[in-house]
Amino acid sequence: MINRRQMLSAGAATMVAAGAAAQTRFRDLPEAASTDSPMTQVPPRPSVGVDYNPVVTLNGWSLPFRMNGNVKEFHLVAEPVERIMATGMIARLWGYNGQSTGPTIEAVEGERVRIYVTNRLPEHTSVHWHGLILPSGMDGVGGLSHPAIPPGKTYVYEFDLTKSGTFMYHPHADEMVQMAMGMMGLFIVHPRDPAFMPVDRDFAFLLAAYDIDPGTYIPRVAEMTDFNMWTWNSRIFPDIDPLAVSKGDRVRVRCGNLTMTNHPIHMHGYDFQVTCTDGGWVPESARWPEVSIDIPVGAMRAYEFDAVHEGDWAIHCHKSHHTMNAMGHDLPTFIGTDKRKLTGMIRERQPGYMPMGTAGMADMGMMSMELPDNTVPMMTGWGPYGPLEMGGMFSVVKVRAGLAADDYSDPGWYQNPPGTQAWEWTGELPDHASNDSPETRLTPRPTRDNG
Amino acid sequence: MKPILLTLGTALLLSACDQALIRQGSAPRPGFALVQDSTRHATGQDSVWHLSAAELDANAARVSALVNGKTIGPDRAVQVALMNNRALQAAYAELGLSGAELWGTALGSIPTLNLSVTNLGEEGFARTLEATLTTSLLELATLKPRKRMAEMDFRQAQLEATGATLALAYETRRAWIEVVGAFEAAALIGAAQGTADAGSELAAELGRTGAMNRADQAREHVFTAELAGERAQRKLEAQLAKERLIRLMGLWGSDINVNVPDRLPDLPHGVTARPDIERLALTHRIDLAAGRLELERIASDYRLTQATRMLSDIEIMAGAEMEREDGANGLSPVVDIEFRIPVYDTGNLNRRRGEMTYMRAANTLAQEAVNARSEARSAYAAVTGSYRVARHWQTEVLPLRREIDAEALRSYNGMLTSTFELLSDARDGLEAELSAAEAKRDYWLAEADVSAVIWGSVGGSQ
Ligand SMILES: [Cu+2]
Repeated sequence: MINRRQMLSAGAATMVAAGAAAQTRFRDLPEAASTDSPMTQVPPRPSVGVDYNPVVTLNGWSLPFRMNGNVKEFHLVAEPVERIMATGMIARLWGYNGQSTGPTIEAVEGERVRIYVTNRLPEHTSVHWHGLILPSGMDGVGGLSHPAIPPGKTYVYEFDLTKSGTFMYHPHADEMVQMAMGMMGLFIVHPRDPAFMPVDRDFAFLLAAYDIDPGTYIPRVAEMTDFNMWTWNSRIFPDIDPLAVSKGDRVRVRCGNLTMTNHPIHMHGYDFQVTCTDGGWVPESARWPEVSIDIPVGAMRAYEFDAVHEGDWAIHCHKSHHTMNAMGHDLPTFIGTDKRKLTGMIRERQPGYMPMGTAGMADMGMMSMELPDNTVPMMTGWGPYGPLEMGGMFSVVKVRAGLAADDYSDPGWYQNPPGTQAWEWTGELPDHASNDSPETRLTPRPTRDNG
Repeated sequence: MKPILLTLGTALLLSACDQALIRQGSAPRPGFALVQDSTRHATGQDSVWHLSAAELDANAARVSALVNGKTIGPDRAVQVALMNNRALQAAYAELGLSGAELWGTALGSIPTLNLSVTNLGEEGFARTLEATLTTSLLELATLKPRKRMAEMDFRQAQLEATGATLALAYETRRAWIEVVGAFEAAALIGAAQGTADAGSELAAELGRTGAMNRADQAREHVFTAELAGERAQRKLEAQLAKERLIRLMGLWGSDINVNVPDRLPDLPHGVTARPDIERLALTHRIDLAAGRLELERIASDYRLTQATRMLSDIEIMAGAEMEREDGANGLSPVVDIEFRIPVYDTGNLNRRRGEMTYMRAANTLAQEAVNARSEARSAYAAVTGSYRVARHWQTEVLPLRREIDAEALRSYNGMLTSTFELLSDARDGLEAELSAAEAKRDYWLAEADVSAVIWGSVGGSQ
């Protein structure tokens, strides 16, 4: 114990000395910007340093920076935060600068960045710069790269951005707990050449999973598999902002996965190609078309498409339980059960009992019943034509003609042009084919009418 | 030891004057006023002694009006028991017999030879005495003491009648609490079974649709079946408890059509503080009073022996004169010189015997008094303790259970938990209500026990 403490203080002394050197050079820390809003904050184009087209972090923001000579300086503060995951649900998490996920760090290929990290957590932390090429001592693995940052201390990371691409940052000290508590953020390095892979709209979000028992506020950090909050940037449907796109835009969507399972992200209405991973840009010759891309654990993907199809297009994880909010997984299937007698019996004791599930679970999306505190219904949300019955990792890509370049506000529901929407058939139904045999049946070749 | 005896000694003053006793003895209901007073004081209810067929008929009609088709509270149950329990009437008849004895003795009609001889002493002495005395001589010589004996018997009979009355009142009150508590418990088990029935119903439906396998269905059904068994058991217990109450109330025929409430009364706001419970017990307990009477009797016994030993003329004359003055039977006191009784010669031994007998009784009584104090404290501790327990269930556990029920519904609403969990929480809630009801019953029983230790009428409960 004594030895360990001695080691720690020795390590701390080293860093304090380095910090003192930094202070003599720069006198003060950059301001630690903070926000208490969970809404998407579209970053301004940079007024200093190299120009780039900022990304739009869904329900997030980009960390302000200052130029100190040729060095771009940021100040990250690791601290407990309250994140509004959706209306009616607050999560008590750990994050950065007032939010989880943390603010997106944006810089440009070739720049040198200096990132001050202040630890306001009750335990030590560190920041690992996932995917970036940097000196070993800057890699942020507590105990391996450098001593973990003790509570109350500020460490400085400084390195050159040798390549552009899509990266992220997260702790690498008590990593399991700190990531389960929401500590993560995006790190976007824009190409120095503005003509390289330009896009009009560049969206970014991180996939994070939490297990927050209904009625509670803080994640169960020991959970390994049975999560109930499937979030984009620590936000759940119906309160993940839509991806507003102007018709004709070139659009990039960047997505990183810091959960413990894979997520096939599926976007309706388009096919697209993966153009970038956290390993770098994908050569054009190596791309292939997809409508769903699986984001592996601990990996990032960016895909691009030309927004030529107007409409409201769902975008979501294709694991159907990941588009649900908190729900029980031990429920019997009630489909087809006659609950008329049962209802009377249960109401003797529980007058508020409502029978559900006999015809499926859609009634859950329709009813609004009293739930435990701080709990968003398992399936919820309303569209122009009825309940969406979704949750978790679900949003809408809204492609509209004529959106201003910097307009990311929700354009409302898409008006389908006449004749382009499914309609109800009220006439007589023709015979429909039916088959009660499980045997393989060979379909006869269509008989061609050669007349 | 001494202070106790002193206290008891002063308590002895409760004995009424002789004339009054004799008047009581010759009354239609000899000595019953005391029984009534004590009973009213201890239970708040009237005790009734029926002597004629007309009275019995009138009583039957009154009882019927009080119980038939009625839902009765504990006070009415006790009242009816005191009116209608025939064993109690038998106890009163004992009192009547004793009264007749007193009256007879006072009138000198029937010599109570055996009683007097038996009380004279033990072993050979009494027999010798019996053999050597003529009835008339003895009667003459012991007229006054025998009258005292009869008085004391009578007072003892009064105490016994009072004790029997209070015991019946106490047992009836307990029986009422037990039966209502049993019905309350049975109803709660019934409600729990309702939730189990719902579980069974759902399991059967899920079996029909193919969502639940046979083992899980059977698990729900067996639970319901077991609970049904427990419910039947509780119902039987309630029925048997009610039958016991009916017995104590002396009901039969159509009068057994009597009901009790579904549940015991709510807890009072607090427990009456009884800092003087020891004193109350020492001054009120019938068994202690009987012990005091026994001392008096022993003292009297041996005073009688002394008098015999000092059967000098003066004493006898005085006794004869007294009798003459009383003019009760017109006996002329003839002093027989042959009434030189061996008792006199063994006087020392007898005095020693008396002393020992007295001290044995005194010590026994002293121990009973100490026990009575402890029993009083125990009963008070029991009633305050059981009140706190019952209160705790009411104010702590049940509100939490209700909260759990409300949350269970919310959780079910959110499809976070299933109907079975909702039902299971409801059952747990009912189990807590059952425990709360049992704690409440225990409190009411303890409350009844408090009056029992104050009046000391009961053997069984303590
Ligand atoms: Cu997923």
